[in-house]
Amino acid sequence: MHIGEAISVIASFGLPYKIRPVRFKWNGRLFEVKEITYSWQTKEGQTKVYHFSITDGKTLYELSFDIVSLLWHIERLEV
Amino acid sequence: MTKIILCIDMDAFFASVEQQSNPKLRGKPIAVIGLGGRTVITTRSYEARKFGVKTGMNVYEAKKLCPHIIFVVGDNEKYTHTCTELQKIYLQFTPDVEAYSIDEAFLDVTTTHHLFGGPEAIGYSIKKQIKDQFGITCTAGIAPNILIAKLASDIAKPDGLRWIKPEDVEAVLEELPLKELWGIGSRLTEKLGAFGIKTCGQLGRAPVSLLRNKFGIMGEHLKTMGMGLCNRPLYVHEEDPKSVGHSITFPKDLSDRKDIEAEILKLSEMVGRRARRYCFTGRKVTLVVRYPDFQTFSRQTTLPDYTSHTHEIYKSALSILNGIRLRDNVRLLGVSLSDLVRERHQILLFEEQRREKALLQTMDTVNDKFGDFKLIWASYLEQKEPPRVISPAWKPSGIRHIRVRN
Repeated sequence: MHIGEAISVIASFGLPYKIRPVRFKWNGRLFEVKEITYSWQTKEGQTKVYHFSITDGKTLYELSFDIVSLLWHIERLEV
Repeated sequence: MTKIILCIDMDAFFASVEQQSNPKLRGKPIAVIGLGGRTVITTRSYEARKFGVKTGMNVYEAKKLCPHIIFVVGDNEKYTHTCTELQKIYLQFTPDVEAYSIDEAFLDVTTTHHLFGGPEAIGYSIKKQIKDQFGITCTAGIAPNILIAKLASDIAKPDGLRWIKPEDVEAVLEELPLKELWGIGSRLTEKLGAFGIKTCGQLGRAPVSLLRNKFGIMGEHLKTMGMGLCNRPLYVHEEDPKSVGHSITFPKDLSDRKDIEAEILKLSEMVGRRARRYCFTGRKVTLVVRYPDFQTFSRQTTLPDYTSHTHEIYKSALSILNGIRLRDNVRLLGVSLSDLVRERHQILLFEEQRREKALLQTMDTVNDKFGDFKLIWASYLEQKEPPRVISPAWKPSGIRHIRVRN
């Protein structure tokens, strides 16, 4: 299910993974990132976007981080 | 010096990526499909293969064979990014890497393997890095040339490693059915079978005169293949292309002339933009048309001068279209520019030419910064961009590196 909404995220920066979402808030609820199942990057012009497929143990989400706008989005979810 | 070539082949690549991304798909029969209504299976998981599901089948055929198969719409951006990252792993071990396709690469480690503990150590290291970084598996084949390296990886699949040393090649090929060898398909197998040649060993021993009589100059090449020999070098540096082209299969057949012209404009822009980005110009424009019954034809025209200008490509393609009486709706259109040369910087004599060039440069600059089609021709404003398929010619870098959307 496609969503595409801006969200608040607590992320960790470090090596070798560079950036990892740890927790996010959506619709007033707090979600814990239990596992990052996959990550990839896309480019739109000069903008690089990091994508993360994550699960909280029950639901699969796709989060994205735009390195130019510094915004996180919840792109889609799968129950 | 005997060469040492590695073939790294990802196991059920797209399906493996999807199963890794979504834990609920792991261990289940899944098939990756496209987004449009006209879609076939691009790849399937090993669990689905057990039911006889094959690449190229449509969803109905697959469902018949495996009623509980799960279809997953492919995420091309995930796969192309992963492929680009895989190249970085390969380049740790040798600069001589050929990205043969999105899920297969050849590495020449002849002069570097001793730095890493040998070719097997390299193979296992690559497998481990891929598994650690992406959670997916690959198979490594090691051999004195790419033909046998590919065979080694095919034999060892999935998640395997096989080294066929020079002294073992003959024994491996002796009883091997012809169709197992890279480059020999079912038609060639049938033709060779008519001469009683059923195995690679038999092919390697077949008289050259017999093979040359039947297959011409190809006959000699077939014999050397049967002997396990292959001189094909790795294409490490990208060769200049012979043409630059794009084609689209439409979700619904096009009947409206305006729609057809708008799609040709879009294709011309895609071709022109790619040619300009890599500094190529061309003189021949080809238009490809496919009808709903799959009858496909192409027509070509030669321009008075070399160009990479969208409008010149578009005008040529349109002139070809105007010379055709379409007998049916259109299922697919393609535009390509060929007879390519590296761009020649001409002094443009006319104001109109200079303005057109400046306009194209501006459009390219804006689209480079903000993304493809952010600045587009007005006639294309109302069209919806169809999803793109990863072409077999796709490469992780260079002119064949095309951004494929979902």
